Amino acid sequence: MLQGALAGLAAGGVYAVLGVCLTLMSRLVRVVNFAQAAAGMFGTYIAVWLVSNQGVPIWLATVVAVGCGAAISAAIGWVVSTWLSEADTSARSAVTVAVLLLLISLSFILFGNKPQPFRPILGGPAFQVSGVVISQVAVFTVTIAAVVAAASHALLTRTAVGIKLRALSERPTTAELIGIPAKLFGIAVWAATGAVGTLVIAIVAPSQSNDAIALSMLVVPAAAAALLGAFRRLDLAVVGGLALGVLQGAAAQMTELSVARHFLPFLFIVGLLVWFQRKEVWDAAR
Amino acid sequence: MNALELRDVTVSRGAGPVIRDVSLDVRPGAITALVGPNGAGKTSLLEAVSGVVPVSGGSISVDGTPITRLSRVARSRLGLVHIEQGRAVFPSLTVVENVRLSARSSAELDDALALFPELDERRDSPAELLSGGEQQMVVLARAFAARPAFLLIDEMSLGLAPVVFTRLLPMVQRFADQGVGILLVEQFTHLALGLAREALVVASGRVTYHGDAQALRDSPDTLHAAYLGG
Amino acid sequence: MPHADTARVLRLAAPFAVAVAAIAAGYGFSVTLSGYLVYLGISVIVACIAILGLGVVTGSAGMIALCQLTFAAVGAWFVSGLNVIGAPGGFVAWLAVGGVAAGAAGILVGLPALRLRGVNLAVVTLGLAAAADVALVQVQFPGTASGTFVPRPGPFADDRSYFVFSVIVLVACATTLYVLQHSRWGSSWKSVAFSERGTAAAGTSVPRSKLTAFAVSAALGGISGGLLAGQVGLALPASFTPLQSLALYVLSIMAGAYLIDMALFGALLWVAVPELLKRWGVPQDWGFVVFGALGVQALASGTNLGAVIRTTWWNRTAGRARRQAATRTLAAPVTDVAAQPPAAAPGGAPVLEVSNLSVSFGQVQALRDVNLAVPQNAVVGLIGPNGAGKSTLVDVISGFLPRAEGTVTLDGTSMAGLSPTRRARLGLRRTFQQDRVPPGLTVDAYVRFVARRRLSHDELAGTLEFFGCPPPRTRLSTVDVGTRRIIEVVGHLLARPRVMLLDEPAAGLSHDEHIALAERLRQVPHRFGVSVLLIEHDLDLVRSVCDTITVLDFGEVLAAGPQEEVLSDPAVLKAYMGETEML
Repeated sequence: MLQGALAGLAAGGVYAVLGVCLTLMSRLVRVVNFAQAAAGMFGTYIAVWLVSNQGVPIWLATVVAVGCGAAISAAIGWVVSTWLSEADTSARSAVTVAVLLLLISLSFILFGNKPQPFRPILGGPAFQVSGVVISQVAVFTVTIAAVVAAASHALLTRTAVGIKLRALSERPTTAELIGIPAKLFGIAVWAATGAVGTLVIAIVAPSQSNDAIALSMLVVPAAAAALLGAFRRLDLAVVGGLALGVLQGAAAQMTELSVARHFLPFLFIVGLLVWFQRKEVWDAAR
Repeated sequence: MNALELRDVTVSRGAGPVIRDVSLDVRPGAITALVGPNGAGKTSLLEAVSGVVPVSGGSISVDGTPITRLSRVARSRLGLVHIEQGRAVFPSLTVVENVRLSARSSAELDDALALFPELDERRDSPAELLSGGEQQMVVLARAFAARPAFLLIDEMSLGLAPVVFTRLLPMVQRFADQGVGILLVEQFTHLALGLAREALVVASGRVTYHGDAQALRDSPDTLHAAYLGG
Repeated sequence: MPHADTARVLRLAAPFAVAVAAIAAGYGFSVTLSGYLVYLGISVIVACIAILGLGVVTGSAGMIALCQLTFAAVGAWFVSGLNVIGAPGGFVAWLAVGGVAAGAAGILVGLPALRLRGVNLAVVTLGLAAAADVALVQVQFPGTASGTFVPRPGPFADDRSYFVFSVIVLVACATTLYVLQHSRWGSSWKSVAFSERGTAAAGTSVPRSKLTAFAVSAALGGISGGLLAGQVGLALPASFTPLQSLALYVLSIMAGAYLIDMALFGALLWVAVPELLKRWGVPQDWGFVVFGALGVQALASGTNLGAVIRTTWWNRTAGRARRQAATRTLAAPVTDVAAQPPAAAPGGAPVLEVSNLSVSFGQVQALRDVNLAVPQNAVVGLIGPNGAGKSTLVDVISGFLPRAEGTVTLDGTSMAGLSPTRRARLGLRRTFQQDRVPPGLTVDAYVRFVARRRLSHDELAGTLEFFGCPPPRTRLSTVDVGTRRIIEVVGHLLARPRVMLLDEPAAGLSHDEHIALAERLRQVPHRFGVSVLLIEHDLDLVRSVCDTITVLDFGEVLAAGPQEEVLSDPAVLKAYMGETEML
């Protein structure tokens, strides 16, 4: 049970990183990016193709993957900020649903719909604590989740760029009127979250069920994680991701929960939404 | 020529035009007042100048450069600053952060902050915790730090107590004294006309008076007639 | 007028004629087309019912739903399961049970996303789709292990006759949906998509509007899944993957599936595109890539095929309607206005009473100890400079700002704790400063929706005419914003409320229209038996309509009383800083 829970840490770290990415996107560019994990999946598959068909070294392929993930994400960002600059979150997010469909289907065509033959960058146990094994992947993902969240927080509160980003997220029109280029900053946020998301998926994919759908659907537990922080708080997104991963890991050990555990992220989301509904107020805009 | 020039500007929103064929010049150091009943289209006109909404006809230029096809950011680089209706501070940013967004150097930042000594103690509090008057001071300081060539001011008095507003109003004159051309929209007509040299009355999207501000102020009949479209 | 009556009967009968024609055409196809095409035809119908359902949530109610095929799986599950246990009633009954079960699932999924807006429903539904997919693969449909096929209903056993059966089911679903779309439910879906506040102010519950949309949408999904189980005999999880749900969502957006004909068009694409790709030897996944790309285009541009086609059609036929509407504006005097006797003298116990009302937002005190009374049959004016708290006061009285101190009573009954919807139903109605009139409805449907009671055609048309509004059959999307807001006033007046709060009804109207509106507002208490609280900035309008006036300044009542007294009060003049002198 404990072993199972700790085995869930690796997945939890991925949820946390993607949850942080979703939170940043929601705060800074008003979008819930359903293609967040799909962009990472696509970049990762390009890396796998480079490694197995072109003999490119893994580290280089990973760099290329991160670049591709960033570029795909930036391209969606360009579409959204060009045509939907004034639209509400729902309309902007709907576009990413279509992109999610497009990326998964395209990956079927280009890479087939079988799980990909990954050679892991990280593998094996990192260390043991009283007989319980912690994998390198778990250490990596948990660390990167914490680092990304802390770095984003520092960027947003301490740097001139971060303050401009916050200004843009709070009053986009006013920010543009005082000369902050909304589109450029927005696309940069898309690219950065795309890069981070791809990196973590590329590292973790070999140890997860790694077909295109499963990887793209990582956005569901990630959204659950982000929801714990109400798509606002980065620290709570990390906590949510890790908690969900650990819960799933523990549930996987119990055979009587084998079907129910698939519904954990869904139930997590439902529970949080019901909790948030307590303090519902009339939205002035609608 | 050094001026903000509007020629036959028409702005449409939703079903039809909200402002039709407005022409006016704002010269450096001059204050032009735009008055008229609510819903007349004054705010839309300012928004068209700064690029919040597109124009559907006519032209706008700054110092001879046509700007109607430029982005909001490009317009701001030409020295156009728009103070929007309703205290446009960034709520979670501190006073200093708000003002620094527009300042290019720390000297400009300090100059702007020095305008309102009453903000000194609150420099590091988030703008959302300030009172309405203090928030409007932050907005004015931010505009000052931007060193504007032309300033568009939309209903600075909205929701402010008269005593607070009378503290802020002289700032408009101060901007003008430094050579900033100002287009002023204000619901307190007489205060606006007292500051301005030139005035336009807009009713139902059309200009019903365009001329000397003092003359308009001194003849209530003209003003009344202008308001009623007579 | 027998001519108009005939026209109305024809309009009512038209959809049923189309339904009969559709069944006839379906029978025609079933006997003429090749066996393979008939089988594909069943797939088109299955998809069409699912897309019709999606159209309700995504099109009419404007939400993102990504698990339509999960609801279909619920339907298929029930049909297969009832078959395995040999439940009575046969296929048709199982299909109905599947639809009801999916509808119930839809309500359960919708509940957590009800109050919060935005993309929450998208997150919940995608989560459900992903979970259900993995779970289904693990447990499989009932009957899969034993190879128990779902038998088709008796007389419809072969493909050709099952196609006819499917056509009948589709026509039944589409007709029901058509009737629903033109009922209060349909209006509430369109209204809630455009404005939740507007919906609540019309006395309609926002959660209920959304829940009915979820339920109808999911039920159609369930019926589609049950029909599929009958088509293939053994339902497989591969028919209900999240990817297909995503594609179906994108397709329904692209096509504009809230329109029944466009749902059929979408279903044709759904089946034809992969079929053609297969014949051309192209990988079928390209189909979804194309849907994805077109979906990005449609979503980014905010248009869909159905809307484009409809708009082109209306523009061609609109010339006539526009000429008709042009003869009616508010500014044109209505002859019976002058003939009306003056309003019954106001008096008696106040209908609406507001006492010691205070509201603050953070540090800002928006309202402080406000007292106000609206007597029977009176028109009370509420004036004050911009930002004085007038709109906040309206929000508090109508229940949109529940966290206020003080009391609001209607006919002596406290309104404390009542939702805006409840207050509207009790006869406390309001209009909005912003446009909250859903452009997707006709004037007729909107006014009936807001009025919440049976209206004769003459009463409706007569009131619209009195206020210079366009005739009932006009589409709201073709009406300018100022007039839309007058139509909003008409709808609320026809609800015969006790009190009506009008929030700057004249904003957006020309000066001539201001005067004309004032003439009509003066008649309101007499004509409709309604007392009015009129919030206005235009002192001319207030002066010509209101018996008594309350002046609000910085959230406090500065003056209140008979019109002349208040307007000559020096404090009031000062509040306007000279503005009153000139008017």
